[in-house]
Amino acid sequence: MGRILEKFNYHGLFFKMFLVMVASIVAVSIIITYSTIHMSERLFLDTFSITNSKVIQQVKSNFETFSNSAAAAANEVQQSGTIKNYLSKDDTTSLEMSKDYYNTHVQMDRAHLNVDDYELSIMITGMNGRSFSTDRNYWMIDEETLAAHEITRKMYAEPKKLLYQLEQESASPMIVITKSLIERTTDSIYGAFYLSIKESEFKKFYSSFTSEGNDILVINSSGQILSSNRPEMIGSTSAFLLKQAEALEEQDGYKEIAWMETNQIMLAEYLPALDMHIVNLIDKESVLDNLINTKTIVFSSFVIVLIAVSIVFLISRRMTKSLSRLVKQISSLPKKNFDQYVTVTGSYETKQLAYAFNDMLDELHNYVEELVQTQKKQRNAELAALQRQINPHFLYNTLTSVKIMVQQGHKEKAGNTVNALISLLQHATGNVHETITIEEEIENLKSYVFINQVRYGERIQVSYFIAPDCSSLHVPKLIIQPFIENAFFHAFNQKSEGFIHIIILKEEDTLICEIIDNGDGMQIKSGHFLPDSRRNRQLFSGIGVRNVHERIKLLYGEKYGVHISSNPGAGTHIRLVLPVIRSGNNSKI
Amino acid sequence: MKKVLMLCLSAVLFLSACSSSDSDSSTSDAGADSNKVTIWAWDPNFNIAALNMAKEIYEKENPDVEIEIIENAQADIVQKLNTGLSSGTSKGLPSIVLIEDYRAQSFLQAYPDAFYEMSGAFNKDDFAEYKIAPTSVDGKQYGLPFDSGVTGLYVRTDYLKEAGYTLDDLQGLDWQQYIEIGKKVKEATGKDMITLDPNDLGLIRLMIQTAGSWYLEEDGVTPSLAGNEALKEAFEIYKGMMDANIVKPNSDWSQFVANFNNGDIASVPTGNWITPSVKAEASQSGKWAVAPIPKLSVEGAVNASNLGGSSWYVLNGDSAEQAADFLGKTFGSNKEFYQQLVTEIGAIGTYKPAAGGEAYGKEDEFFGGQKIISDFAGWTEEITGLNYGMHTYAIEDILIVEMQNYLNGKSIDDVLSDAQAQAEAQLK
Repeated sequence: MGRILEKFNYHGLFFKMFLVMVASIVAVSIIITYSTIHMSERLFLDTFSITNSKVIQQVKSNFETFSNSAAAAANEVQQSGTIKNYLSKDDTTSLEMSKDYYNTHVQMDRAHLNVDDYELSIMITGMNGRSFSTDRNYWMIDEETLAAHEITRKMYAEPKKLLYQLEQESASPMIVITKSLIERTTDSIYGAFYLSIKESEFKKFYSSFTSEGNDILVINSSGQILSSNRPEMIGSTSAFLLKQAEALEEQDGYKEIAWMETNQIMLAEYLPALDMHIVNLIDKESVLDNLINTKTIVFSSFVIVLIAVSIVFLISRRMTKSLSRLVKQISSLPKKNFDQYVTVTGSYETKQLAYAFNDMLDELHNYVEELVQTQKKQRNAELAALQRQINPHFLYNTLTSVKIMVQQGHKEKAGNTVNALISLLQHATGNVHETITIEEEIENLKSYVFINQVRYGERIQVSYFIAPDCSSLHVPKLIIQPFIENAFFHAFNQKSEGFIHIIILKEEDTLICEIIDNGDGMQIKSGHFLPDSRRNRQLFSGIGVRNVHERIKLLYGEKYGVHISSNPGAGTHIRLVLPVIRSGNNSKI
Repeated sequence: MKKVLMLCLSAVLFLSACSSSDSDSSTSDAGADSNKVTIWAWDPNFNIAALNMAKEIYEKENPDVEIEIIENAQADIVQKLNTGLSSGTSKGLPSIVLIEDYRAQSFLQAYPDAFYEMSGAFNKDDFAEYKIAPTSVDGKQYGLPFDSGVTGLYVRTDYLKEAGYTLDDLQGLDWQQYIEIGKKVKEATGKDMITLDPNDLGLIRLMIQTAGSWYLEEDGVTPSLAGNEALKEAFEIYKGMMDANIVKPNSDWSQFVANFNNGDIASVPTGNWITPSVKAEASQSGKWAVAPIPKLSVEGAVNASNLGGSSWYVLNGDSAEQAADFLGKTFGSNKEFYQQLVTEIGAIGTYKPAAGGEAYGKEDEFFGGQKIISDFAGWTEEITGLNYGMHTYAIEDILIVEMQNYLNGKSIDDVLSDAQAQAEAQLK
């Protein structure tokens, strides 16, 4: 659990970024897909309904043309005296009747001209039992059946009206336009007019505009479906459709209704001449399914989302990975003393960041180094200043000794002492930063020892053991002198006499100077250092033993320095470790 | 990166595969197959039934030949033939077509190259002579004669008996005598002698053919109305019937049939093809007989005539030979087949050898035991052959109007000369 949390923290940026991106991509795609589908549906429905209302207008005009022709034919039949005679007169002579038959034929042919554009037949029947048909094969119904038929009954019920009726007893359904033939003067009915057109012909007025899911129904004012491109509906009655159609005709446009368990878009138009309604039903689902391939749209947006998400995944992982690595490296930097550069990888931004960070590290290092150098120099200067201070007491004491010698008449001894002091001062007051050879240093030591022996007697013997290859090597000025001084003044407080050995030799690439005495010795406390002598009256310069170690370290580094070992009563062993310096101009000093 | 590329690629492929619609419905079969014979004819109860019988017989012996029979109304066939032939292509036209004899010449002469000469496919001497003229041009035989339009006088023997006549009194009649009998019948029974449609002059055609005359000269194009004695007499007879008040008018086929099925009419002078309609009213069985058709009184007239009738024609094309072979082996020479036609459909052919067959000699109880098929076959041979020419129906349309003028009192000579003038003007 902890590991997962850790991992999450490490990849936190990536997860957050990726999640936000994925969520927005998915949201955007869903919204766009949904609105695309929705918009195209609306657009389609609007254009569809506009087209279909045009279509319906066209259908309406087809119907009106037809109904005008039919009405004209009916009028012509109604107005023909010949036909009236034919249908109302009783049998007379062969000649008379033959003429009537002939003229009726001519009249009927003329009436038929009105509807010559359509495939239909006109039939007239008279109260005298006579009938005439322009094409009896077209509508196979015998006169007795017809006389008893419901359409005839309805026709007589509304004698003055041109009625469009459905006759389904024939082999194929027929639309029959009926009208009673009335004698105007007496208002008596003498015959009947039937104009029959097969429903399949009637359908042609609109069938070219229909398709699967786009149906047209023609319903009469009692809700009966007279004609439809869907044959199974013909003859059925739907009060619901009639009501919807009547409501729709009041307003413009279309409406959506649920009919026969499907959602339909409905358009309707009233045909006043026929007293019928044209109803256009569009099955929303099947039409939309054909037009808008929802599956493909959804699928394409899914694929696009998938591609986008994978691209986002790759890019954001690349970016956050380098950034996280950078952060990790930076956070672990303090453990490594700021001297480890961060790796420059990843995107442009992280690279620049890494460069800048590395530059900053460089600057920091430079600055710190400079600071260290400055401090070193300062300390050096301090030490040098100390070194240059010749203790006036030393001079005073030495000069007093010389005066006494002169007074006692030891002229030569006094001269030698003054010579030693001159040599000592000469070296001490020169440039403190210069190194001197071992040989010169030993000369100095000898001078100092001589002066001390003059002043305090020769109870302490000093001997020098210098390796021959060391005499020309360089060392800082007054580097051994403080230890000799220390030995003189502290090592022989209890013992009255003893010796001090000075050994200088080269060990590989270091120069070793050992100052060994057989004096009192001491208990070394922490710090390996000799006790500081504050009785500086006897001291030659400001430099103490203590400072030597510090100075060596400052000059040459950590691996050099002073080591002291001592046992009470056994003497003290001081070991100086110095670098081998062959030339005199050591700039560092 | 490679993965992403692959993903894109596969996505594109998949999408394009989705959008490609499954279309290309290949259109096969269009080429003319010489083994396929298409036939156009009308009347499912008669011509189509006969064709189906022929097909069955022929395909038994020639299983590799496919025969397709298509039913069309006669008017449609005429229109399609005219359109197809005048455009000069045989595409969409059948191999065999049935054409009414009255119209045959107009096709044969207008499109002389379109028809396949059938002289080799059958022996024309085996067929009734009167059928040869309408089906041939310049001695070349194009049509294979099919049904006979041989006429007879269908009479109600019971009505005649009431008026004092027997079937024997009806032999060798002329039309004038027919009117006289009609008057008597009307007097005795109150029934009209005949039913006529004023818009159909079939009776006139029937009458003038008894005298070997027609609306046109023998050349088939020149109208022969004015001065045509036979036609003049036919018109007078027609008016005589009206004046005698023995005619019951009708306006179409169904009224025509209804009139004699109802028993309103004493006689029906018409083609033998009416037999099934007469027999349709089974209650009148035994009350009918068929007498020879009356003749005109002009010289050379015979008591035999023709009304309607049609013949088979083969159109030039890939399967013309196959079609001719089919016709030759069935309608052209198969005696058995004709027996079957008579028995099953009641169709009387014009193939003379068939007349000797058993089916032809059969007595018909409906007609009082009369051997009507045999009688019709006999009269067929007496029919005077005629070239019906090219304009039968065009002239008849003129005559229908002029007939009304005549009935209204115009003189017969004026009527015919006016008709002649109109015909000449129209047919020029």
